[in-house]
Amino acid sequence: MSSDRRAQSSDVLRPKNVGAPIKRTEDPRLLTGNGEYTADRKPDRPLHLAFLRSGQPHARIARINAEAARLAPGVMAVLTAEDIADDFKPVIPFSRIPNYYATPIMPLASKKVRYVGEPVVAVVATSRYLAEDALELIEVGYDPLGAIARAEMAVADDAPLLHEEAGSNILIAREFKKGDVAADLKAAAVRVSGRFEMTRKAPLAMEPRSYTAEYESRRDAVTLYTSSNIPGIVRDAISESLSLPGHRLRVVAPDVGGSFGSKGSLYPEELFICIAARKLRRSIKWTADRLEDVSSSSQAFAEIVDAEMGFDANGVATSLQADVLGDVGAFSIYPWTCGLEPVQVVSFLPGPYKIGSYRGAVRGVATCKPPTGPYRGVGRPISTFVAERLMDLGAKALGIDPLEIRRRNLVRPDEFPYRIASGIIWDKTGFIECLNAAAETAGYEQLRKEQAEARKQGRLFGIGIASYAELTGIGSRIAVAPGMPINTGSETAKITIDSTGAITAAFGVASHGQGLETTLAQIVADDLGTRFEDVRVIQGDSDEVPMSTGTYASRSAVLGGGAAKHASKILQEKIKRVASHLLEANADDIEVAEGKAIVLGTDRAVSFRQIAKAVYSDMKTLPVEAREELTATYTYDPINGTTAAATHIAAVEIDPATCFVKILKFVVAEDCGRIINPMIVDGQVHGGVAQGIGAALFEELIYDDDGQLLSASLVDYVIPSAPEVPLMDVIHVESESAVAGGFRGMGEGGTIGAPAAIANAIADALSPLDIDVSILPMTPERIFKLMEQAKLNQEEKADE
Amino acid sequence: MKPAKFDYVLPATLDAAIEALVASNGEGKVLAGGQSLLPLLNFRMARPAVLVDLNGIKGLSYIEERGDRIAIGALTRHRDLEHSPLVASRLPVMSAAMRHVAHLAIRNRGTIGGSLSHADPAAELPMLSAFYDARISVQGPAGRRTIAAEEFFVDALTNCLEPSEIVVEIEFPVLDHDGWAFEEVARRFGDFALASIAVSVRRAQSGLKDARIAVMGVADTPLRLREAEQELVAMELNDRTPDRFSEIVVSKVSPNDDLHASAAYRRHLLAQLSRRALKTALAATERAP
Repeated sequence: MSSDRRAQSSDVLRPKNVGAPIKRTEDPRLLTGNGEYTADRKPDRPLHLAFLRSGQPHARIARINAEAARLAPGVMAVLTAEDIADDFKPVIPFSRIPNYYATPIMPLASKKVRYVGEPVVAVVATSRYLAEDALELIEVGYDPLGAIARAEMAVADDAPLLHEEAGSNILIAREFKKGDVAADLKAAAVRVSGRFEMTRKAPLAMEPRSYTAEYESRRDAVTLYTSSNIPGIVRDAISESLSLPGHRLRVVAPDVGGSFGSKGSLYPEELFICIAARKLRRSIKWTADRLEDVSSSSQAFAEIVDAEMGFDANGVATSLQADVLGDVGAFSIYPWTCGLEPVQVVSFLPGPYKIGSYRGAVRGVATCKPPTGPYRGVGRPISTFVAERLMDLGAKALGIDPLEIRRRNLVRPDEFPYRIASGIIWDKTGFIECLNAAAETAGYEQLRKEQAEARKQGRLFGIGIASYAELTGIGSRIAVAPGMPINTGSETAKITIDSTGAITAAFGVASHGQGLETTLAQIVADDLGTRFEDVRVIQGDSDEVPMSTGTYASRSAVLGGGAAKHASKILQEKIKRVASHLLEANADDIEVAEGKAIVLGTDRAVSFRQIAKAVYSDMKTLPVEAREELTATYTYDPINGTTAAATHIAAVEIDPATCFVKILKFVVAEDCGRIINPMIVDGQVHGGVAQGIGAALFEELIYDDDGQLLSASLVDYVIPSAPEVPLMDVIHVESESAVAGGFRGMGEGGTIGAPAAIANAIADALSPLDIDVSILPMTPERIFKLMEQAKLNQEEKADE
Repeated sequence: MKPAKFDYVLPATLDAAIEALVASNGEGKVLAGGQSLLPLLNFRMARPAVLVDLNGIKGLSYIEERGDRIAIGALTRHRDLEHSPLVASRLPVMSAAMRHVAHLAIRNRGTIGGSLSHADPAAELPMLSAFYDARISVQGPAGRRTIAAEEFFVDALTNCLEPSEIVVEIEFPVLDHDGWAFEEVARRFGDFALASIAVSVRRAQSGLKDARIAVMGVADTPLRLREAEQELVAMELNDRTPDRFSEIVVSKVSPNDDLHASAAYRRHLLAQLSRRALKTALAATERAP
């Protein structure tokens, strides 16, 4: 299905590894239990850590009595904020943007607690069992200060302040404006609006957060093994906080079992374990249990959006305004700040549409909950949900088909680059092509006929469309998070051929399931001219490259891949120069392929091994000045980055007996530029859509008014399992981007489009009952209540 | 999430297990399949001083026909019940329900004695034992006694066992029915039931001469709806019967709101399932010889 849509020109030039569905080289070890995750590290006589966490949502710590715990069996230390006060500097999630208050990251709660689950006291013991036993002996006296359980409560006049120093519970406020929205709305033929909400969600990686700090007493050095997708950022932040130079602080992300964003920030426990390892001069291990992971890892969404869209009589959207209230939790995360999720909602709200005027205002407010942080799609799942609901509402009001109204509003091929009303610039991407391809594959017209037939039988059958665009592979001109001082715009590749002729490619990007070991090796193999299986990829190790930030924001294929291409080319030139000596040929006449340098048109060739021997081991073969080390390092910055886009189409049926939603069909047509590995791209789409189904139908972190998490286990926090995820059709519209290799980022898109498409399909299914969809997840309970209310409304109407 | 310290014993006989429980002074807990107990231990919500593991005792896992009854050993795994030809032919309602019991990995370890003892109000086996009028044999220091299923379940997660008593066998009568149905709605396949009903009927010349109804997920214990059974038998059978039946069933329960469903939604589900279940059961009687 995908092959006939590939651009013709790239077919001709397509190298042999990039574009091939090569099986992931990671899988044999991961699937046979031979992977090495952080918890698998076995340092010498490690100590184990357990945290006493706050059971209070907001309280002053009056006293901590840990004497009994200190005397408990196996306990090596019991540490409070006071005990470690001199051992670190707080980490500040700084941002240059105005109206932002940066809450410092503290390893343990100091003076007060701000959410249930915040670490307060740490016990270090000879086993996790003994550490947890000792936790029970610690008494913490709290003076309650009043819970702020919801965003609306935080902005109430009499709300207690979570951070007194901030002077307000509003930690961030921002507004985007273009044109005269009020006038355009007034002039609009049709105005549609709503209050939309996506509730709090857990990223829920299969591997909980895990840290092993391996202490080297010989030189007071720490190697932190961490289940992080930003090992470089963690290294730099802890280095600064502990005044420990990078050559005494190595941070390694080994095999990592998923993140979805939840392992993409610096965590208090991560900072603490390094402090404790140095303090006790011992290696220490900690792995979150599921309860800790659900209740203290960064969470997603939690936004309420009041939005309105105006259309002219032809269905062209002229104006859009939105006020976003983001419940960002108790703290900013490092380095992304608490603005990351809610600000992106207003940045991306106009989406792939040419909307004339725009006003988007956002407030991120502090509540007694764990921080929100990056989650696959950041901001865009809800901005897409809102914009796509408004598109459908507009279509309904104007009597235009939902597919047609999108055709009239999407940026068209001849209009790129296009600056949308919030200021983001889309480079040339297949917006319309994705819409058309999805409609064609879904059999849109046939689906509408089926729907008409189903409605005649009284069945609740609905079709939903969602189109979106996202920025991926962002370069240095745009900060990933607003006003953030870290360079997220470049990544480094270092490729080396050693004296045995073996090829090692080292990167700072860090796979946590994306299969980067495979895809980066595919790129190196093609651009260096060697066999795929001969390239070893090292990643996620701060000792391998001078600086890196890691894998997030759909950047590793673009930035890591771009760096790989450039470094490979540089190294290939070196190989050619050496080979020209050995083969007594002009370097221009030498081709490098299959791990050999060959004189074009001849059978004269030398292998990388022979080349390496000549360079490193042999004192006579080459002149001294020709013995260039066979290594190349390149730091790639795509400057702007590149757009990725997709259209999702869902067909659903709602069973009025159970109020369950069954997904009958799901189609994704996406443009991720040149595909490196179609199997991996399909897998990313499938996984992303599965998570989007979770957001649309199942997953919700429910907090009560006292800030207690009620859905803290996988019995109560319901995620989709295999039967809940339908087979899906994925179509690739492969329009090459302008960045090196023509790649676009594509790890997040599935999660962005699916909730909106499913929401629209549910609303379409329920439209005969005059029911609207404005909150996700649409659980059976919510659908039941809406249907009951609709019945009451109809009865009232009948009475009138 | 590690359990508090406990002693572990693996007795080879039932008597030794009971002795170990007696010796624990009420601080002991029985381990069978461990599918509910181990999470409770890890959350430290259960903190037994001694864990008495029944898995070393031979002869507690069996499914036997005894006249008009099927006797099931307490240590019989859910997976064995699910695949038993004897259960399929003699206890068809149980057989149909077993595939709804959690997930494969849990069915491989979980036991009938453990499920009944745990007394989850939304679990299938407690409900089936009420439906079938099962007799639960338990053994303790004072010897063996038999408890009717409906008396066994006292409250949510609470049974009527004395300390040091262990469930050893459950006897299910083979029912004389012409039609039956088991219906369940769970959020995902294998989750605890949001609502569920089992119905069986015996046809008379006109109308029904006997009916059984049990429900779960809508009260603190599984419920046998004996009044509704009598009302169903008294009913004239016509097109409106399933609707009237569903109203009757729902009128007998008063579920609570919880995280997974409101009381109103559970009542709605139970009404839907009741209607569907009775239709299925009655349709089967048409085909019955």
